[in-house]
Amino acid sequence: MQGLGLGTSGDMLGSVHSLQELRRSASLATKVFVQRDYSDGTTCQFQTKFPPELESRIERQLFEETVKTLNGFYAEAEKIGGSSYLEGCLACATAYFIFLCMETHYEKVLKKISKYIQDQNEKIYAPRGLLLTDPLERGMRVIEISIYEDRCSSGSSSSGSSSSSSGGGGGAGGR
Amino acid sequence: MPAASGKRFKPSKYVPVSAAAIFLVGATTLFFAFTCPGLSLYVSPIIPAYNAVVFLFVLANFSMATFMDPGIFPRAEEDEDKEDDFRAPLYKTVEIKGIQVRMKWCATCRFYRPPRCSHCSVCDNCVEEFDHHCPWVNNCIGRRNYRYFFLFLLSLTTHIMGVFGFGLLYVLYQVEELSGVRMAVTMVVMCVAGLFFIPVAGLTGFHVVLVARGRTTNEQVTGKFRGGVNPFTNGCCKNVSRVLCSSPAPRYLGRPKAEQTVLVRPPFLRPEVSDGQITVKIMDNGIQTELKRTKSKGSLEVTESQSADAEPPPPPKPDLSRYTGLRTHLTLATTEDSSLLGKDSPPTPTMYKYRPGYSSSSSSAALPHSTSAKLSRVNSLKEPNSICESGHKPSYRSEPSLEPESFRSPTFGKSFHFDPLSSGSRSSSLKSAQGTGFETGHLQSIRSEGTTSTSYKSLVNQTRNGSLSYDSLLTPSDSPDFESVQAGPEPDPPVGYTSPFLSARIAQQRETDLHGRFAGAASPKHAAPREPSPVRYDNLSRHIVASIQEREKLLQQPPAPGREEDAELADSGIQSTPASSNAPRTSSSSDDSKRSPLGKNPLTRPALPRFGKPEPPPALRVRSLGSPDQPAAPHLGKSVSYSSQKTASQAGGPETEEVALQPLLAPKDEVQMRTAYSKSNGQPKSLGSAPPGPVPLSSPTRGGVKKVSGVGGTTYEISV
Repeated sequence: MQGLGLGTSGDMLGSVHSLQELRRSASLATKVFVQRDYSDGTTCQFQTKFPPELESRIERQLFEETVKTLNGFYAEAEKIGGSSYLEGCLACATAYFIFLCMETHYEKVLKKISKYIQDQNEKIYAPRGLLLTDPLERGMRVIEISIYEDRCSSGSSSSGSSSSSSGGGGGAGGR
Repeated sequence: MPAASGKRFKPSKYVPVSAAAIFLVGATTLFFAFTCPGLSLYVSPIIPAYNAVVFLFVLANFSMATFMDPGIFPRAEEDEDKEDDFRAPLYKTVEIKGIQVRMKWCATCRFYRPPRCSHCSVCDNCVEEFDHHCPWVNNCIGRRNYRYFFLFLLSLTTHIMGVFGFGLLYVLYQVEELSGVRMAVTMVVMCVAGLFFIPVAGLTGFHVVLVARGRTTNEQVTGKFRGGVNPFTNGCCKNVSRVLCSSPAPRYLGRPKAEQTVLVRPPFLRPEVSDGQITVKIMDNGIQTELKRTKSKGSLEVTESQSADAEPPPPPKPDLSRYTGLRTHLTLATTEDSSLLGKDSPPTPTMYKYRPGYSSSSSSAALPHSTSAKLSRVNSLKEPNSICESGHKPSYRSEPSLEPESFRSPTFGKSFHFDPLSSGSRSSSLKSAQGTGFETGHLQSIRSEGTTSTSYKSLVNQTRNGSLSYDSLLTPSDSPDFESVQAGPEPDPPVGYTSPFLSARIAQQRETDLHGRFAGAASPKHAAPREPSPVRYDNLSRHIVASIQEREKLLQQPPAPGREEDAELADSGIQSTPASSNAPRTSSSSDDSKRSPLGKNPLTRPALPRFGKPEPPPALRVRSLGSPDQPAAPHLGKSVSYSSQKTASQAGGPETEEVALQPLLAPKDEVQMRTAYSKSNGQPKSLGSAPPGPVPLSSPTRGGVKKVSGVGGTTYEISV
């Protein structure tokens, strides 16, 4: 798990919150994969179908909005227009040395996407025990959504994670 | 070149690329060294400049094609591979612009290859939009570097043509110095150029065509779109612009790993889900239906468990899809819901109901029964509640109760709540009416009119079995003695399927008992052992025809207003309510059953028009139910066969009453539901054992109950 509320990790918050953090940590329960939508060819789109595993974790609307925004970003990245044409010409003219200095249009949009995903994670998904993974890490084939369960060693179950087992051993061991 | 970890250094694979590089650079260098000075001198200095530019272009593209990541997919992580390699289907089909495209499972990379992706055996990688593996650049040509490869080919062709042409020009200019070194070198360069021009130009032309058609070499060579439509093409111009003008795609490998700075820490928020939300969603689409099914089921269970009446548990998951949609209707349910229920869900084709696999379980069948039964039961029970000992049992479950009897509760009103769910699935009710169920259910519906817990119990049993077993219907312990309060829960549990013949026998017994009841003699309980019916769809055609006929008749006859005439009829009407639910089938089946096994006057009645009974009787029955006529009416309408017979004589009671009741039944669906319902209801009641007591459970004014057995073992209790 990467920095998932593990209060015991020394590099995290100080020992002030250690007690609570020690008690309440999240463990990875399962992963949901949102597949690509190939209905329009090989253009990068993801299915907006709501995964059943997220039924009780997040509102359908939020999820769909996230996926739709991502699809919009990818469409913008793959857009063939004047800017991309000029970029190509410039690259040709400089024997592609320009790529050493400048990042392509696609890369710029990917950075925007990465920022958006992080923003979504912080605001929407992490509070619900979910984590979006940039599809770029998976070769743009899937959007990986990690579902975390509340694993309370203190025995007090988190109200938010009804599916987690209260008391030791949270229902979902890390995978 | 992609890094191949763990692979031995194979010099052989570098031979082509080395040769290509050597030839390219070497020849060009010679050209520049020996030919260009003379050309610049005699023709123009632009020639070397031009050639230099072209050569630079060739080199750049050659380098990009050689060293650029073609679009290698990183290996899928273990988490992504949910299925075992051995069990994963080899292909997954996806529709692209209306064309089915297969995605193959890549065992090495452990994912289903996206469309146009292929696994390169040389590089041992899956490459996005795989074109081919080019040995001259020792690299796969894929999405990312196809443009550079294409431009390399174009520029190389141009370069070759330029070198050859300008060399020829030089030779022609220096024709008098043919023996010079320069001339020799130029001639050699020209030969090399000429030699490579033919394959390179051929390849270039080939790829120009591919780009124009929007295909990859792989697709062209394997003939994927031969004679078919290419789903990946967008037209010639767009294809070309996509290759040349699109922004270079990013590479997937070798990216700096993004640091996960977001902390996931409990407590977690959870979305709120409402039942209404759920039920609505069920109607959305097929995909969500399943998702919602569980949800709705859960909500149903919650509701039921929370209800003090311990409503019968919801039906199994597959059935819920039918019911959940109707839940919303249920919440708005009024007494008129019964009539509305029929309109909620689309009518199931007649034959479809008889399909074996149509009804997922008897539970679904149980629901319609319960719906009608409950309706009638509510009415009937209002009065005899005090005397109905079995009333404490919910017995009547709107949904097939797979739960033990403990879940039952005499909250008929509540159970009624869930009936509409079942009503929604008319098919289920019809299913329950399948095969032997028809007659049985019909009979039972009549029996269960007494709204004894036994009748409902039979219904429960039926559903519990999860099949169209009507044993419970025939359970003596659960005999629906409407005229008398059952001593307690029927002792005989449902065994399984009851053969139609057996049911007929039992029905006969019950009818005998019924008559005996009239005489005041206690009718023996049906202790007939039940055996699983080998055939479920006996007399299918007969039932179908009969049900069709009944339906037609039902439609022809308008529902009769309530009248005072038949207090007794009302009782029977109540009793026949469940039967009526099975009316289309059961009535027909009951007719058949009556004709065949009984051979008594009721069966001889068939000559009479089913709806021959004057309207007053049915109306009276409705009223006597003590509840809104409308819900009762449909139930009553079911027992067509009986009502007609009843007109003939009171003794024939059950039939005539049922017939009279039938006209009241307007919607076919309700009839069907009731039919199924009555089947299940009637079954457990031991008609034979119905005490001759004058007070049926359904109505205090009830007279004796006559039990008539029909084909398939359905037994009908008709108040006389």
